[in-house]
Amino acid sequence: MAILQFIFNQILGQAYILLAIVVFIGYIALRQPISKALGGAIKTAVGVLVLGIGSSTLITTFSGIMKPVSEKFGMTGILLDTYSTMVSTNAALGDFATWTVYTMLFAFIFNIALVALRKYTKIRSVFLTGNVMLVQTAIATYIVYRFLQTPMVPTVLIASAITALYWGIFPGLLIEPVKEITGGGEFTIGHQQMFGSWIAYKIAHLFGKPEDDVEQINFPSWFSIFQDNVVSSTIVMLFFIGIMMLALGKDVVQEMAGTTHWMIHILKTGLTLSVALYILLTGVRMMVGELMTSFQGISERLLPGAVVAVDCAAIFGFSPKAVLLGFVGGAIGMVTGVAALILAKSPMLIVPGFIPMFFDNATIGIFANRRGGWKAVVIITFVSGLIQVFGSGLAASLMGVAAWQGSFDWATVWVAIIGILKLIGNALGIVPA
Amino acid sequence: MLRLLCVCGNGMGTSTILKIKLKGICERMGVKVGVESCSAGEAGAFISSTDIVVTTPEWGKMIRLPQSVVMVTTVNLMDEKGLTTKLEEAIRTHFPKEIK
Repeated sequence: MAILQFIFNQILGQAYILLAIVVFIGYIALRQPISKALGGAIKTAVGVLVLGIGSSTLITTFSGIMKPVSEKFGMTGILLDTYSTMVSTNAALGDFATWTVYTMLFAFIFNIALVALRKYTKIRSVFLTGNVMLVQTAIATYIVYRFLQTPMVPTVLIASAITALYWGIFPGLLIEPVKEITGGGEFTIGHQQMFGSWIAYKIAHLFGKPEDDVEQINFPSWFSIFQDNVVSSTIVMLFFIGIMMLALGKDVVQEMAGTTHWMIHILKTGLTLSVALYILLTGVRMMVGELMTSFQGISERLLPGAVVAVDCAAIFGFSPKAVLLGFVGGAIGMVTGVAALILAKSPMLIVPGFIPMFFDNATIGIFANRRGGWKAVVIITFVSGLIQVFGSGLAASLMGVAAWQGSFDWATVWVAIIGILKLIGNALGIVPA
Repeated sequence: MLRLLCVCGNGMGTSTILKIKLKGICERMGVKVGVESCSAGEAGAFISSTDIVVTTPEWGKMIRLPQSVVMVTTVNLMDEKGLTTKLEEAIRTHFPKEIK
């Protein structure tokens, strides 16, 4: 019994070990030599731990500013960042956080099953974007647990079923649009804004003409600094954290800063957030490469004809200016949304993070440009930014967490899913209304 | 062993996909490779230990290459046939000894 306990708590109960084992098994299943499997497993474990260091620095630094701001203004801060959300929901799950890894595995299995049965399900795509799979299944696990309070097995099965359906249905909407944009590419997008991208593609013609292609426009040369993600994310973080710290007043910031000048302290804090994000992404990158090699190998073995749903960045090369303009449009939309909430005296202060601001609106921008040119890009990503802010605020308050994904689908589709589960939980008397 | 470097904006999305595809392609070609991925900003640090850089034309323009390093670009990262052709050509031209 003690041995089983040990195995469960100390090994399977630690995400970095569990994921390392998954990767190891994946390599072996693909007939790779043990040395490669071991190397992959180690890189996975290291990646997960590096991710942990990055995200805890991000959250600690952010809450260090958020706490005095919320005390002074009576607002709760909600950070819109992918990995911080996962860390928050995992913390809420507490000891049950490792259930999330099982959810990911089963969601993958269910996705494969749904495609295997495509004659009946009409589902053709296998979701393979490892970093997103990890985050989405983690959050989905908590969503189910929060409202249904079920034990491990039903929670994992329900969460993975819901996620697998999301992975099967929404990327499927983009198969034809992606084919058009890439001139024949046989893949689709598996990320966090498929619903938003599909809507953009469908309504873009109402706002502009495809002949007004953004790729034909000449941008001022300084625009290109936004292409470097480290530079862009630093600028975004500095902007928001700078405003928050200035709102606290020079004296408060000076007290926090100690012997450093308060202005330098603001700079340092903004940079620290960017550093934390960079460390976090380094960890993700390390671990995801390993995970995806296994998943892709297995998917190819079992379902050779399936359409793969991959990172939205796969189509960025086809329309790089739409990426930039979409990012700018979305950024303006999100800032406007935040300002609107403050003016409406909302108790929630939404702090947009770089990842949902950039990736979602870059992707939506590409689909908008295809059917409506640059005007559609600007208008649609602006509205998307607004929706991302308002929807995420709603989601965060329903979930009782201090961070949310910020991605379009997680401000819309998943809010509906949360709403439905909440209704069920209320109706069955599991959670108070 | 040939050293490949996949470069993109974030060092995550595009280059991870490329990395996996390249490993598969090289295995089929019978070429021993080590594949790394990174963002355009970091490419400078990795380039000294690289033989071939694989990236999109967009990022390719921004990376400064030393004489010995070869660049292969592709707009469509999912196009395995195209990637295989380009990579094979690059290896045959510059590193013919690596192909068995």
